Formats: sequence, C-alpha cells, structure tokens
Amino acid sequence: MSARERIFSAVRAELSAARDPAQIAGEAAALLAEPDAVRPRLAGATLAESFAIKATALGTTIDRVPALDAVPEAVARYLAGQGLRPSVALDGAPELRGLDWGAVETHSAIAPDEAAGVGLARFGVAESGSIVIHSGPETPILLAFLPLHHVVVLRVADMLAHLEDYAARLEGTEPPRNAILITGPSGTTDIEGSYVRGAHGPGFVHVILVEE
Amino acid sequence: MTQASGPRVALFVTCLVDAMRPRIGFAAIRVLEEAGCVVEVPEAQTCCGQPAFNSGDDADTKALARQVISVFDGYDHVVVPSGSCAGTIAHGYPELLADDPVWGPRAKALAGKTREILSFLVDVMGYRPEGRSLPASATYHDSCSGLREMGVKAQPRALLAGIDGLEMRPLEGAEVCCGFGGTFCVKYPAISNGIVGEKAAAIEATGADLLLAGDLGCLMNMAGKLHREGSKVRCFHTVEVVAGMADGPAIGEAE
Amino acid sequence: MSDAPHAEAEAPDFKTRAGIALADRTLKIAIDRTTNTAETKRAAAVGAFPEFEAARERGRAIKDHVIANLGHYLETFERNATASGAKVHWAADDAEARAIVVRLCREAGARSVTRSKSMLGEEIGLPDALAEAGIERVETDLAEHIIQLAGEHPSHIIWPAMHRTREQVADLFREGHVPPPSAEDPGSMVRSARRVLREKFLGADVGISGANFLIADTGATCTVTNEGNAELTTTPPRVHIVTAGIEKLVPSTAHAFALLRLLVRSATGGEMTQYTTFHRGPKRPGDADGPEEMHIVLVDNGRSRMLGDEFRDMLRCIRCGACMNHCVVYRQIGGHAYGGTYPGPMGAVLTPVLDGLAKSRDLPFACTMNGRCAEVCPVRIPLPTLLRAWRGRSWRENLEPRAMRAGLGLWAWVARRPRLYRLASGLGVRALRLMGKGGWVGSVPLAGGWTAYRDLPRPSGKTFMEQYRGGRK
Ligand code: SF4
Repeated sequence: MSARERIFSAVRAELSAARDPAQIAGEAAALLAEPDAVRPRLAGATLAESFAIKATALGTTIDRVPALDAVPEAVARYLAGQGLRPSVALDGAPELRGLDWGAVETHSAIAPDEAAGVGLARFGVAESGSIVIHSGPETPILLAFLPLHHVVVLRVADMLAHLEDYAARLEGTEPPRNAILITGPSGTTDIEGSYVRGAHGPGFVHVILVEE
Repeated sequence: MTQASGPRVALFVTCLVDAMRPRIGFAAIRVLEEAGCVVEVPEAQTCCGQPAFNSGDDADTKALARQVISVFDGYDHVVVPSGSCAGTIAHGYPELLADDPVWGPRAKALAGKTREILSFLVDVMGYRPEGRSLPASATYHDSCSGLREMGVKAQPRALLAGIDGLEMRPLEGAEVCCGFGGTFCVKYPAISNGIVGEKAAAIEATGADLLLAGDLGCLMNMAGKLHREGSKVRCFHTVEVVAGMADGPAIGEAE
Repeated sequence: MSDAPHAEAEAPDFKTRAGIALADRTLKIAIDRTTNTAETKRAAAVGAFPEFEAARERGRAIKDHVIANLGHYLETFERNATASGAKVHWAADDAEARAIVVRLCREAGARSVTRSKSMLGEEIGLPDALAEAGIERVETDLAEHIIQLAGEHPSHIIWPAMHRTREQVADLFREGHVPPPSAEDPGSMVRSARRVLREKFLGADVGISGANFLIADTGATCTVTNEGNAELTTTPPRVHIVTAGIEKLVPSTAHAFALLRLLVRSATGGEMTQYTTFHRGPKRPGDADGPEEMHIVLVDNGRSRMLGDEFRDMLRCIRCGACMNHCVVYRQIGGHAYGGTYPGPMGAVLTPVLDGLAKSRDLPFACTMNGRCAEVCPVRIPLPTLLRAWRGRSWRENLEPRAMRAGLGLWAWVARRPRLYRLASGLGVRALRLMGKGGWVGSVPLAGGWTAYRDLPRPSGKTFMEQYRGGRK
C-alpha cells in the first residue's frame, strides 16, 4: 500500500463515513459568517486613513500623490531624502514603465545589493496596513526582497477594507503562483524577543498612495 | 447564630485543612453561618481524590468520586475552602464519569451546586463582612484552580475590601502559579522550587505584612518557601481574615 | 564555554536535563527576557482586539471542522495543488518524509539547500538527514542560523534560539561570521547575518520551507514570516520543497486569514506578520522569477492516529507558542529539557505521540495543572485535560513507579473508609507534629522533595474532624 493509501485509510477509519461535499462546503461557508464579529475594526474613518495608521505604526512611510504621473517625482524625492542615488530597479508594470522617469534612472535587473526597487501593488488592505503583490511576467518577487528600500505604488482605488476582501478578489480568478501580503519592513525578534528592523528583506518600505 | 430558614450547606473540609490547619474549617463555618447558612459537616467525608486524579489513577478517583457524591448530593450547596478541591468536584467528576449512565448525571448535579467558599459567600449569599478590622497590609495570590476553574477573582478582593484597616497591595504576577501542583511539588521538587522562589520574591517585593490566598496547598508551599528564606511575611487563608481570625497564629506559627 | 551546545539537550532523562537547565542562570536570563516580552506584547495585542474571544471560538470551530472532514480536504488540496503544477507527495512517518526530501534534493542535483524555519522539518529530522546525504544546509531564519552556528536544536517553536542571550549570540557571530559583526547590539548582528546569508540565497539549488496553512480550495501553501527569508529561500532556487503536517489544512484563503489573526497576536503580539506568502505551483510561462518545480510533502507521522483518540483536540494547534510563553515550568527549564521537537505544554502532549510514552513519561507529569496554557491557547485546546489523559495512560500501562502505585493505592483504599481514614489521619498528624518543633517541620521522611527547598508547617495536633466532633465551633 502506498503512503497515500495508508494515510487515507487511517483518516477514513477514524472519521465517520464520507459526507456530501456540498454539505461540507455549507459548513465551511457558515464559519465565515458575520465577519465583523471576529475581526478588528478599521483604525480610521476612511480606508486610506486606516491603511496609513496601521502601515506607519509598523515603520512604513507614506507619500500621497494626486495621479500616477506624479510618481517619478515622488520617487526622486524619496531617494534624495534617503541620500540615495536616483537609480532604481523598476518592475515591469506598464502603468509604471509608461511614466516619464526624468532624472531617475530605471533598470529591470535586480542586483543582490540593490539599493531601491519600485513596484506596483495589486491591492492594499486597510485593516492591517498591508500591500499585496502577485508574481507574474511583469512582477519579479525578488524586487520586493533584494533591495534595501522597497518603494510601492498603491492606487487608492485598489484599497480593500479587510483581509477577507482580498480573499474574495481571488475568487473566480486563477490565483497567482506567488501572492504576498507585505506588512511593513522586514524585521526579526529572534534575539531575546526584541524587535530589530531590517532583516533579510527590505529595511524600508515606502508607499506612494495614488489618489486618482 | 444560625437561621433555620437559610440554605442547607455542606462544608467539604478538604483533607489538607482537616489535617494541617483546622482553623480554616472553623473560619468557614463562622462566616457561612453569619451569611445565614445552615452548615453541616458530613462525617463520612475524606478526600476529593485529587491526588489519584492527577496521577492518572482513574479507577480510584472514580471510587472516591462516587463516595463524595453519595455523601454530599442531598444538600442545597456544597462549599469548599479550596478552589482546587472544588474544581475536582465541579469539573473532574463530570469529566471522569461522563459515560456512566447512573453516576454521570449525579456528578453533574453535584457539580452544579459545588462552590469555592469566597465566591459562594459573595455570589450566592451576598455576604459582606461587618465590623471586622485588621490593621495590616496584605497581598493576595490567585490560586490557579479557583481562578480558572471556579471563577474566583473579584469576590475575595471584594470581601477583603470590607475589612477595616486592611491595606491591599497588588502582587506582580498574582495569576501565575506558585509551583505547588499537588504531587508535582514532590515529584519535581527542583522545578517547583524555582517557581515558588520567584513567587516568594514577588511577595517580598510588595512589602506587605500578610500573604492571603484561597488554597491551603498553595499557601503551605509559599509559606514554607518564605520561611525557609527568612521572610517575615505571615500567611493566612483569606477566609480566616474574613472571619476575623487573623489575630491567631499564621501558617507555621505555634498555636 | 558559552557557545557549547546546551548540555541539558544531551542528558538521557528529563529530571537530569531539567536539573542542568535549572542550574544554568544564563539560560534563565535568556528565557525571562524573551518570555516576558512575549507575554507583555500578547496581552497588549489581545487587549487591542475586543473581538478576540469571538475570533478564538471561530478559530476553534474552523479547525474542528477541518479535522472532522480531513479526508475531504486532503483530497481537495491534492487535486488543486496538482492542478497548479505542484507535485504532492505523501509520507506516513518521519522516515518516509526524510527519504522523500532527500530523494528530491538528489534528483535536483542539489549541493546547497536553503531552509526557512519549519518545526515540521525539525520533527522529521530533516537537518540531520540532509547532513547525512552530504548536502549543504543553510538555515536562513535568524534564530535557526544561530542554532546552526551553535550546533543545536530549537528550544522554542517561535524563537528557536531563545535559550541564548544576546551576549552569547554575539560570541557565536564573532566566531562564525567573516568578517565579524561590527558591534554586539542585536541590530549589528542582524545586519551581519543579512550580509553572510545573502549570497547563500542566490546560490542554492533547492529551497525548503514549511507551511502554516494549506489552502484546500486553491491548492496553495501559506507561510508567514517576518524576516523575508522565506521568499528568498523559495524564489531563486530551481526547486522548492514544502513539508507540512496533514493537520495544516483550511478550507479557503479567508479561513486562513481568520486563523492568522489569532496566530500572530498569540505568537509575537503583532497583528500581522511582515510577510504572508501564498505559493501555488512552480514558475509559470513568462514569469519573471520563481522555481521550476514545486513539491509538497504531506506528513502524517502520528496525526491520523490522533483523530481517533483522546488527543484529537491537539490537532487544532496552530503552533503559536503562547502556551510555553505562559508556562511556569517552561520558564524554569526552557525547551531543551523537554527532550522532544516540541517543548512546553503542547510539546508535553505531542512528544509522547511522536516518541512514545515510555520515553517521555515525565512530560505530562511535569506540570502543575495551573491551566494558564489553556487560558491563552488561541484555539482553546484543553491542554491540562490532554496531559491528564497521558497520565491516565501511563497509569493504565503500568509505567508509573511501583512504590508510587502502591502508596497511592493504599491511600485511596483508606480514603474510601471514612472511619479508618479518620484514625489514620489523626495518627499521621500527631506523627508529623512530633517531627518538628515550634511552628515548622524541617524535614520529613518520604517528603524530602518538599523539605529540601521549603519548610513544612507543623500541624496543630488534632484534625478538624476531631475538634469538630469534640464540640469546637
Ligand atoms: S497548543 Fe495552543 S497555545 Fe500552544 S502552540 Fe498550539 S495553538 Fe498555540
């Protein structure tokens, strides 16, 4: 008997007879009922404000621009403020690629010691101050991990209230190979439980909120 | 003074109080009567069986449980000056006898009327000590079973707040176990000692004159450690203070 | 020497290990620093989440639902994961799991493997198996990196290196990092680890991770981390292997989120881990990066057996570590003294499942039954009840020392005879009184465990029952 058969026969022996999958699905759905009773309330009056409260509490910095075409300038401003050269690894999203980057040099290869990477978030989650990235032809995952500074462009229109709302957005779609909710800069509490910001991933996460 | 109209309450003395500190039993009777209960002490009681229960000896525990149920189930309430013995009766018996068609329901019925004494006084009898005073400072340790199994938290504090002149000082980590654990403290004495050592230090740090708690096992553990370390803190069961009997010898003081 | 592997991990029996741990004051400092922080932060996070109790109840119900329909969810997950292009493997026990992972590494021609922290990997003995297979293993989680430098095993399921003070970690890094960290503060040490591990991430042939959740309806695995090492472990190598216990299933992504809220608050006192990663199959055509193969090894190792016995509730465990952070025993002896993969209250329940009760009999007894673990457990596992169930088995299987059985049996026999009991307790009290003077007894035969460390109050001479019958009121 294969390991698979052994495990299934052991599981089946201990549980009652096979049940109707529709009934199981109904029970599973009932376990998601009344979500507000089991999740935190939003921290602010609007989604963007709630997002900002949670994100900044974790050390994420936030800039707001009226429209996408103001993003390159906001990136230049951030780099200058951090004392960095005006050079970034840029993900392949056409929304970003199509912008006039002016004085900021952009490239697609990501060096192991890349200073800054700029990418487009799929969603923001107001409840937790998280941004969501999906892997794809235009979106290298490493862009969010190798650079010391991760600059994320997030459209206010893509802001979701709760984690469940993100799960709902996936329904009926082919989920990506890799979806990551990023909540603040990387960090660790592995030495004596005390928090140190900046572990293997970026030490800085900067969100440019696009209002349009 | 007894009022014949009050509820009939059986006092479960507990084997530890019976042997080691009878004063607690008499203090319990005094306050229960003040509260208007008709108190009886059934002669046929021995031990709730907790040592066997916590050792995994289910057969002996069941035998003792059946004995306790038979002796106590005719009363309106069963009151225990120990959260952990009360917890064994209220939670252990029904768990252990769940599958027994006869004793299971009886265990459940007894569980429903078994209370730890301080919570019984406040929650059921609405008792408040009157005219009691004790010019001292005290700190209070929440014994684990009382706190987590019997819901004892606010009641002893409310009773102690009614004692004139008694200044209560908060104990850091009051809800953390003292390391007694019944058979645990003799099976793993070194670990138990580490735990009670920290507890004794926290008690000392309050600077209080008295340590109060609701379980004699825990009190003996803490008092024994405090004495070994040369501490001057005196230890009483809370019900002794409520009954106005804290003018007598503390745990470990000659009568 | 501060960086020698902790001796308590090596001793053969629990009491010896515990004794060594108790004597190690540095260990106690390390434990206190981490658990105090953890306890404070958890309390704050729970306090800031008024819906916590309702969320706990929901979390318990979600896990119970999955456990009750485990066969269905395993099949659903397998189907969806396979459809995503991942390959699903099944391992009935730890040996099979090790063999599968080693075979996959060999097939990938792996010389170097990066690992991101997984307690299941520890449970199945993966680190040693990789070493035996001659494959370089690079631990990328900071704590696991510390453990690897020290040649040790984890002592906590959330903070594997919590038995080490920052001063001891500094010593390890000074010896193990070239060049050594610039300073001894945690920040400098973390930066040093980042630098040392960066090239390892990019040079690995296989990345191995665990999973916090297996999402049945998408076939995705979900891993939560704070450091970013999991993504760097799973993205660059050609092959990604996930090892996970079969109890990790959840019906959907939304169910995973409901449990995640409980997990993070209970584990670190945060609200959300920095990285919550869902992996679903290998790199797709055109993808900018990602592994070419994804393998998921589903491990039983005693779990299906737990479905049918009194330890079923333990399958709800989401490995948050709150029970050990709040355990008085763990806080005295740390994790290594437990002698299994999992320490603390949850470990005391699981280790007898994994290693057999005969070898780990002490663990269920080394507990005061104070109930604080169950009070904080985010999925309401009745840990003391489960520990007591092990005690019952130990008693029934005759594993308890004979003197103990005989003594308890005699006591229970007497306790069932009230008049004899009265007589015996009256005599016992008098005998005990004779052993002391004043208010205390300093030493008592058979109670040396008590009197070695504390005094025993001297009984007053007559039992309550004697006095009561004598008319005292
Ligand atoms: S038993 Fe409960 S508290 Fe302990 S690790 Fe598991 S989920 Fe967390």
